[in-house]
Amino acid sequence: MHETHEIREPRPASGPLLFKVCGLSYQYPDGTAALSGVSAEIRPGERVALAGQNGSGKTTLIKLLSGLLAPAGGQVRYRDKPLAGENLDRGRLEIGVLFQDPDDQLFMHTIIEDAAFGPRQQGLPQQEAQLAAGRALDRVGLLHLAYKAPHNLSFGQKKRAALAGLLAMEPQVLLLDEPTANLDPGQEQVFLDLLKDFSGTLICISHDLIFLYELCQRAIVLNHGMVQHDYTMRELVSQRRTLREHGLDFSFRLVVAPESPDAGPDDASCRLRPVSAKDPGRALVQLQNYCYRYPDGTPALQGIDLLIRKGERISIVGENGAGKSTLLSCLTGLCQGRGEYLYDGKTVTGRTRKRIWRKIGMVFQDCADQLFCSTVREELSFGLRQLGCTRAETAARVSEALSMVHMEGYEDRVPLHLSGGERRRLALACVLVMEPELLILDEPTAGLDPRGEQLLLDILQKLHTTLLLVSHDIFFIQQLTRRTLVMHQGRIMEDLPMQAFMEDQRLGDLNGLSCMYRLRCTRDIRALQHEHEHTHEHQHLHTHPHRHGDMVHEHLHEHTHTHAHRFVHTHPGRDQSHDHAPRRYHEHDHAGHEAQPHEHMHKQTDKTA
Amino acid sequence: MTEIIHHIPLWYLPLLVILPITALWAGVAGLRRTARRKTAADRDPDWSVPPLADEKQGGSFLHKWDVRCKIVTILIFSFVVASLDHLAAALAAVVISLSVAVMIRVPAARLMLRLLALAGFLGMLLVVMPFTVPPHSGDTLVVFGGVEWLTLNFRGLLLAATIAARAVAIAMLMEPLLSTAPLPVTLHGLCRLGVPEMAAQMVLLSNRYVHVFSHEARRMSAGMQVRGFRKRTDTATLRTVANFLGMLFVRSFERTERVFDAMRARGYQGRFPEPVKLRLCASDLFICLAWLTVAAALVVWDRIIL
Repeated sequence: MHETHEIREPRPASGPLLFKVCGLSYQYPDGTAALSGVSAEIRPGERVALAGQNGSGKTTLIKLLSGLLAPAGGQVRYRDKPLAGENLDRGRLEIGVLFQDPDDQLFMHTIIEDAAFGPRQQGLPQQEAQLAAGRALDRVGLLHLAYKAPHNLSFGQKKRAALAGLLAMEPQVLLLDEPTANLDPGQEQVFLDLLKDFSGTLICISHDLIFLYELCQRAIVLNHGMVQHDYTMRELVSQRRTLREHGLDFSFRLVVAPESPDAGPDDASCRLRPVSAKDPGRALVQLQNYCYRYPDGTPALQGIDLLIRKGERISIVGENGAGKSTLLSCLTGLCQGRGEYLYDGKTVTGRTRKRIWRKIGMVFQDCADQLFCSTVREELSFGLRQLGCTRAETAARVSEALSMVHMEGYEDRVPLHLSGGERRRLALACVLVMEPELLILDEPTAGLDPRGEQLLLDILQKLHTTLLLVSHDIFFIQQLTRRTLVMHQGRIMEDLPMQAFMEDQRLGDLNGLSCMYRLRCTRDIRALQHEHEHTHEHQHLHTHPHRHGDMVHEHLHEHTHTHAHRFVHTHPGRDQSHDHAPRRYHEHDHAGHEAQPHEHMHKQTDKTA
Repeated sequence: MTEIIHHIPLWYLPLLVILPITALWAGVAGLRRTARRKTAADRDPDWSVPPLADEKQGGSFLHKWDVRCKIVTILIFSFVVASLDHLAAALAAVVISLSVAVMIRVPAARLMLRLLALAGFLGMLLVVMPFTVPPHSGDTLVVFGGVEWLTLNFRGLLLAATIAARAVAIAMLMEPLLSTAPLPVTLHGLCRLGVPEMAAQMVLLSNRYVHVFSHEARRMSAGMQVRGFRKRTDTATLRTVANFLGMLFVRSFERTERVFDAMRARGYQGRFPEPVKLRLCASDLFICLAWLTVAAALVVWDRIIL
């Protein structure tokens, strides 16, 4: 057996170190180890992806790199000096940190004041700071909203305003924590363009490796607070086994979409009938000319006509602020607009609206919004108590719901202490336990790591209930639903079968749903993950005992030989040609290689056996 | 001198109590309808323009006035108005406040919305005080249908009207005080007048995050509602509300930490940058002096002449 050998892609040119992290460790106040023994070096201009499951210590590492946390052990060096004292003060003005929730970051009264905050701290006079802020807002396309208060902006606008606050400081380094979480594809593209234009060092946390694929060249994988791998990005995405080990395997997203309109979950019992005009199911929800205005008078929904039949699986897509969540609020009775709303053939009036929660269950975008009890059991029992279930029935349904979301044994855990993925599944269980006729999911994949996404997908595919899914995630939409409503500025612009929706190129321009970047990255990654058995002649640089006449010795040497390799990949088609991406890791045996004579130069320092 | 007592039939009571309330309610409803109609005419009104950024468009003397002079003058004037005893003087104060509001071109709807916030409290005073003020000699009392405990005291009505007028005058001054400069500038002015900087920063951050927290609370409340929660008078409701408040507190606390981190990450070291350089000039002092002279004249009229 020969050693596994590695041929790395070229790294960015070497130069002075920007960050040097040696044996870094950190513990939360409750004693839990967040990071232990982390070491890494980052050079100016590098673009590094920090990958890892929820709770692997990525955000903690970013906080340590920005000096927001003091390490319990080890050291962070910035520009060859410890990140403390004056160097820390300097670092904070050169390092921009983009937090996950933009509301945390926009703390000033208007977004121009917020963008000018950093430059003012850098010592710029007010006029110059305002100019820098204006330029940064212009770059993110928000100059026209400069005097708006942050709470009046949409989520995507807030996210861009937060980035403007950093860009105004002209940082040398950007540390980004989930920059595109909850953004629609249009806003994601804006972010991507801005970050591609950024010339400094970039360190980015994201579960979305497809987004990071072109943005970053290097990937550091954290697991349980330790650096597990330090690869190039291409190496990381090409190694499914490593990705799977760390819960990052997003390869399930690379599966080609089913072409048949009724192709669905693997479980045949869950398969739903295709919707057709000849065989309409019972109408569950009907909205006719439904309108809703916010209390300040701004129209949120206009002339909505919608029919949801029992058993249907429908998705709603649209840009941030298109009115999707408002529509859901109206369906669940949280808001009441004008127009006809029929549920199961009966008009939903003020009185019945208050009882509609018995029929419709909704999982919110931020699952923390619906988790408020002290234990998982209490959380699940809450809805059942409102339904008037007996204790025995409650206990049975609670354990059934937990088993559905693979959370058996979690009954006495505190919801607040669960990981993001677990909380998401708990929120789903809280709704499923009430056995709703219509299940509504608002952005169910937001903030989930790939393993969490896959688990959620498996759970949702097994459900039999009528489903209404609001998501920007085209893959989830494709996998879970058969019909798509496209919303834009409070109206339903299109109501299409899934296949037609996927083929309609116009909608990308209308709703910012263009996924060209993702498609391109997906294609590349699929090529990298391409694996099949083949034989070719190639060179190896490796070490193993070999013979030169009577002398047997072992040293690093290069030689050409032929043997079979295994590559996993998806072929574009049987008869179509395709390329094999260069592989950098593989293990193999050289049968009889030791006995083969070969010639090469030896140095005196060669180790002899 | 004893009280002057008028006896009138009991059915006058609903007329005297219900009619003003109905008129007030109708007025409020009318204003709301007018505001809504105006919104409907405009397809996509820009409601979200922050009110405190209006100073960008404003060119009145109040917009240009040094914020320290403005705060001191308006606060002194407000205390003067609060000390007025007579309805006539209080009404004069209302006229002055209204004139200032007109001068700085405060939209009538916004002024009305501010006053509407007071309407409930003032309406209650106007209804309750006439029946609860103890009679003094010289008071005019109206006894309804011979029911002694149901006596309307005109002095109480006058007192309630005076309080209402004072409240309206002061409330109307809040608009010139707060909307003619951005909140950070007003708070900066307060700091220069001796208010601790930390307190001003807390007010500024509270003003920013009150929307975020209220939005969070609304979302959590919606999360409870979709799972069937309705407020009842039982211990389960109390427990749920306690959980809700606890969770809100935990989330607010966590957010506070994150906001502080975000501030430190951008170089915050305990001080916010000065939003403007304040410079006092002669015209600022002149306006201050003129306004305080009006206040003094009002006191003299109230206390000596009336």
